[in-house]
Order: sequence, then structure tokens, then C-alpha cells
Amino acid sequence: MRTRFFTVIAAAGALLGGAIAIGQTMPQPSAPTVQSPPPGAQQPAAPGADPGQLVVDVTGGRRAPMPIAIPYMPTPAATGTAAGNTDALGRQVADIIANNLRNSGLFSPIGPAGLPGVAFPQVTAPDFAAFAGTGAQALVQGFVQANGDGTLTVGCYLYDVASRGELARQGFVVQPAQWRRAAHKCSDVIYTRLTGEGPYFDTRIVYVSETGPARNRVKRLAIMDQDGANHRFLTNGQATVLTPRFAPNQQTIVYMSYENNRPRVYVYDVGSGRARPLVAEPYMTFAPQFSPDGRWIIFSMAVNGNTDIYRVPASGGRPQRLTNSPGIDDGGSFSPDGRQIVFESDRGGTQQLYVMNADGSNQRRISFGPGRYGTPAWSPRGDLIAFTRISGSFRIGVMAPDGSNERILSNGPLDEGPTWAPNGRVIMFSRGNGQIWSVDITGMAMRRVPTPLGASDPSWSPLRD
Amino acid sequence: MDRAQATGFGVSAAGHVALLVILSVALARAAIPPPPSDAIEVSFVDKVGLTSAAPDPSPTPPEQGRAPDLGPVEDAAPAAPAPAPQPAPPAPRQADVAPTPERARPQPAETRPSPPRTAPARQQEGSEGTGQRTRRSLIGPDLLRGIGRDPSPSRNNRQQAATMSAQAMADIAAAIARQVQPCADRQVNPGPGAERIRTAINLRLNRDGSLAAPPRVIGQTGIDDENRRYAARVADLAIATFVGCAPLRGLPQELYDVPRGWSNFTMNYSLPG
Repeated sequence: MRTRFFTVIAAAGALLGGAIAIGQTMPQPSAPTVQSPPPGAQQPAAPGADPGQLVVDVTGGRRAPMPIAIPYMPTPAATGTAAGNTDALGRQVADIIANNLRNSGLFSPIGPAGLPGVAFPQVTAPDFAAFAGTGAQALVQGFVQANGDGTLTVGCYLYDVASRGELARQGFVVQPAQWRRAAHKCSDVIYTRLTGEGPYFDTRIVYVSETGPARNRVKRLAIMDQDGANHRFLTNGQATVLTPRFAPNQQTIVYMSYENNRPRVYVYDVGSGRARPLVAEPYMTFAPQFSPDGRWIIFSMAVNGNTDIYRVPASGGRPQRLTNSPGIDDGGSFSPDGRQIVFESDRGGTQQLYVMNADGSNQRRISFGPGRYGTPAWSPRGDLIAFTRISGSFRIGVMAPDGSNERILSNGPLDEGPTWAPNGRVIMFSRGNGQIWSVDITGMAMRRVPTPLGASDPSWSPLRD
Repeated sequence: MDRAQATGFGVSAAGHVALLVILSVALARAAIPPPPSDAIEVSFVDKVGLTSAAPDPSPTPPEQGRAPDLGPVEDAAPAAPAPAPQPAPPAPRQADVAPTPERARPQPAETRPSPPRTAPARQQEGSEGTGQRTRRSLIGPDLLRGIGRDPSPSRNNRQQAATMSAQAMADIAAAIARQVQPCADRQVNPGPGAERIRTAINLRLNRDGSLAAPPRVIGQTGIDDENRRYAARVADLAIATFVGCAPLRGLPQELYDVPRGWSNFTMNYSLPG
């Protein structure tokens, strides 16, 4: 059953003596005051400034995680629920938020442990003085409340410590089993408000879980929340699986399986747990990917020794060939508008990246650096293409869709298969040692994503509903 | 004329003719000087400035001409005190309009705005002078001083500065920047390209350096497709930069509410590249 989230408007608002608004709008620049400048006044250029005013120029800042205080969240009344006592949940929600923000690499959470306790009435009237000494620039407060209908309400408040002002507030009503998602959504509210980036914490990862010796490696499909929680296996490991990819609706996963020793792409329904071959053709198919609208699946098919990229309706049907070169074309990835596809091809002698229109027209090469390029992934923002650069070692990099501004983000030696967070700011990839790692597109915040076993081929889901 | 005289005349005439020829040739070969340029009018003044600024600026308005005293002071000031003190118009100072040089000297109290005066206070002030002076009619050659457009020729009467001097403005801007710089340095760059965004905020301060109104974003420049998502956050940083280091300390009180003073100013904030 899909969980429905509601913005809290009445329940928590009544308890806290104020309505909780749905999101907080960003401050918009307003019109400047108009005054008559004195004759002969000469001022340096100031955007929107009154030319008759004193102007002060200040430049300062740093590239470092932002200190943010996250105390434990109180509850108006400690109540036992299916997910545990609301008092304990308040502590766990704060821990999850701190962990999410820390993992983003953009924040340096302070607490929850060691911070002053927050009484329930203080959630909307913070004791800023108590947190000023921590060095925190922002403060996260909230509460967990059990509702009469068996649901939970998680209130989420973000404050600026210096100005003592509220930056955002939002509340979520969830089933007890989904309480972690409320913590992720609160994390997204904070992250979005303080960075300007889109949300990505309330997402999942599907990947290939690996166990056993190299010669008899068991590879199973597994799915988990982006922070590693709620882990479960989707396949039993009898057949090796590779390259799982989420459908935009997150209810379907396409992947390649060696079931019956025939490498083919399968379509897996998360709800029913059933899988079906993508196409009926008896050829090897691999490297599947959904179109952004979910209507199409592109994949590679090797027909008589020639591998080209095809597309087929997600509901099934006859595949349509998009490339027609004598080399190997594979690894297709749609642009977010669905109009273009980036793919890899060795038609020029070495493995390089190419871009074509979604119907296969206007194919052109975009990578020209030394070495080889593979596994391209178009950013959900559309501004970058991530890839694996093969030049001595395997490393993850990004470039503009026209091939310019190439940057290498990881050091290798066996990093490959990038996948984007839905906000286009974070990339996850495989490491040769059977681990999954993530990195910010600035190259900062390189961290290992926790998995219970060995892991490879991650695919990041879109933001959950 | 004998022979010798004729010879003399001849030599003399020949010499003059030769001299005339030499001078004519020299004149013809001489370069023609350029025509003289147009005359430039030059005026000699004591001081020149691009902006109007008094040498010793005062935050208070210049002294005003005042109506003549049409009656004795006893008639104008009833013995019974007013039941409720009423604010008096600012600025008119009896001492300043008096013609005697020593009373026209600037007073230290002029460096601060004149507080509203009550009627009894005026009475007391008036009683400080001689009775003869207060009764004297003020109709005189300086009656309209401070009313006309032309400044008073008196060097003893301080005028209000039209603007803060450029040097004072630069000093105050530097002092403010110095005080908020530690808070600016604490701000965190939200993402690639955010350093190209320049945010202007309007700041209104009290005399004690505290904020008189919440900072207001009045404009941003340098926003493009890459950094647009960070614009709101950079605006936050601009405000946090100032608020975090407020109140300001040590700014000159006399330059608080003069034009371009620090009572109301603009701060441009940007992240380092």
C-alpha cells in the first residue's frame, strides 16, 4: 500500500498555537526604496540600490559543511504505536535527519546527542540562546505525535540561528510503518531550503547484491532506502542479474538476467514480484533504460554479431532499431526531456560517447579525451552527463551534454556505472571492491553507501510520491 | 655738396637699402606664429569641490531666520507655566542670530540634534541673556539669513553638509565591512556558480548600531541558469552576514542621519570565487 503524505495544517497547528504552512516560500527581492540622490552623488554599482545611499561591499564565505543543530524532537504525549513509542521515535527521527544531512556532505550536524532538550512548546518558540554557543547557523526542531486514527504526525521546523527567524516548516502524517519516510521528507525540506537544490532523501536504491567467491558469485537484485534502511532482496540469486534500472513510477524495474543461461532483459513488477522478458526476440539483450515519461524502454540487442540500440514500448511490442553502425552501441540514457539519448559506441575505433535524437537521428560524438568512455547517464537536471572514464583506471566523471567541461570526480581504480540522484547533485557508482559509493558533483562528500553484502550496479529511484 | 658729402650720402643710402632688403627677406622667411587661442575665463575661489560639503559639517540644519520680536519678552512669556509642554520648532537659537561675534560662535551642543524643547525651557534659555538683548527687535540686515538660496558669508555660522564627504563615506563603509567580515566568512557556498551572485540588501539601523528594521533584499545580479537555484540561499547568506554581526559598534554618531549616512544604507554581498 502506498503511503500518503499530508501536510499538517490543523492538528499540530492547534497544539502549537499556530498553523503550519505548506512549505515556506523563499524570500523574493522586493522593490528598492526610492530617494532623491544628492547632486553629484557617485556610488559604486549596486543591484537595486538607491544611488543616494552609502554602499558597503562585502565578500566572504567558504566551501565547507554548514553547522546545523538538530536536537531530539519532543512529543506532546508519549504514546505507544506500531512503530514504537513517540518519545523514542522523536529521537530516531532526529538521528535520521542528522545522518542524511551529514551524508550529503553539505552539512555538519551538531547533535542530537549533547544538545539541550527541547520542550514541546519550544518547537515553535526556540530557545536560540541555548544553541548560539554551538556554532550552528541553522536549527532543526520538530515533534512526533500519535494521532487518534493510528497515524503519526511528524512536524519539521527550520530556523536561522543568527536572525532567529523561521526558514521553513512542514508536517507529515504517515502510517507508523512509514515513519522513516517522514524523517527523510523533513530532511528534504531542510536540504532544499538551505542549499537551493532539489530533494533526494526520500528515495530508494535498487542494486545487485553480491556474495560468494569470484568464480561462483551469487548476484541478486536488492532494494533499499537511500540510507540503507528497509533492505530486501528481489531475486533469489539462482540467476545472475545485472544493470537494474527504475521505471519513473518506481513500480517497475528493468534488468538483465542470465536466467536459463540466456542473457536477456526482464521487466520486474515490484508489487507482484513477477518478471517477464522485455522482448520476444531470441537475441541477447542488455543495458535497459526507461524513457523519462515511462512509455519507452531502450536497450541493446546483439543481432548476428552487431549490437545496436533499440527501443520498445514499456508495455511490450516489436523493438525499433535506433542505431545502425557496425560497432557495438549500448548504454543508452535519455535526456530528462526525453528528446535525446546519450550512448556509448566503438564505431570510431574506441569506446566513446555519442548523442542522438530519441528517434535515432543526428548521431554525433561528444567525447574526445584520451582513453575510453562508457556507461553514460544523463543528469535529471539535464545539465551534465556522468560517465566512466577508462584511462589506466576506471573513474567517474561528468561533462556538459556537448562534451565540454569534463571533470573527473573519483579516483578509481575501478569506479564505474554512475547513477544520478533525482536532484542531479549527487552521483552513486560501483567500486571494484564490491561497494557502492556516492559523491557530490563538486567532487566533495565521497562516502560509502552501506549495504549488508557486496554491492554493484546501483540505480537511484526518482523521488517517491 | 662736395664730393665727400655725396659719397657719404651714397654710402648711407646704399646701406639703408641693403638693411631694408635683409630685413624684408628675414621677415619673409620667418614662420608665421599660430593665432592666439580663445581666452579662458579663470575665476579664483577659495575652495572647490565636486560635491557640496561644508568644511566642518554639522548634522543639524543651518540656522534659520526668525521672526522679529515684536514685543517685550515679558509680554511673550506669561508668568504662569504652560499646563502641558509643547515641542518647539527645532533649530532656532537665539544666540546664533545675535550679531555679536562671540555669540555667533558654534556651540558644542550643535553636534547633536536639538531635542524637542518645552516652553519652560525656552523661557529659561531666554533668561540667560540680558534683558535688553531679548527685547531688542530682530529686524536687521541678517533677518533673512538662512532663508535665501545663497549661503551666508559668515564663516562663524556652521552649515549643514549636503552630503557626507567621500572620505568619510569610504571610512564608514570600511568600518562596517570590517565588522561584518567575520560573519561573511562563516557563510557556506551552496553550490557551483553561487559565487557569481551578488545580492544587495537594504539596512536600516538605529543610532546604537542595531537593526531598526529587518534587512530587505533589494536586488540580485549575476544569476544564470547554472546558479539560479542558489539565488534564494545566497540572499539568506547576505542577510545572515549582517545580522550575525549586528549591532555595529563605533560608527560616528554625527554621520548617522546625514544624507548617505549609515542610518540607511546598502550592503552588497557575494561569495568569494
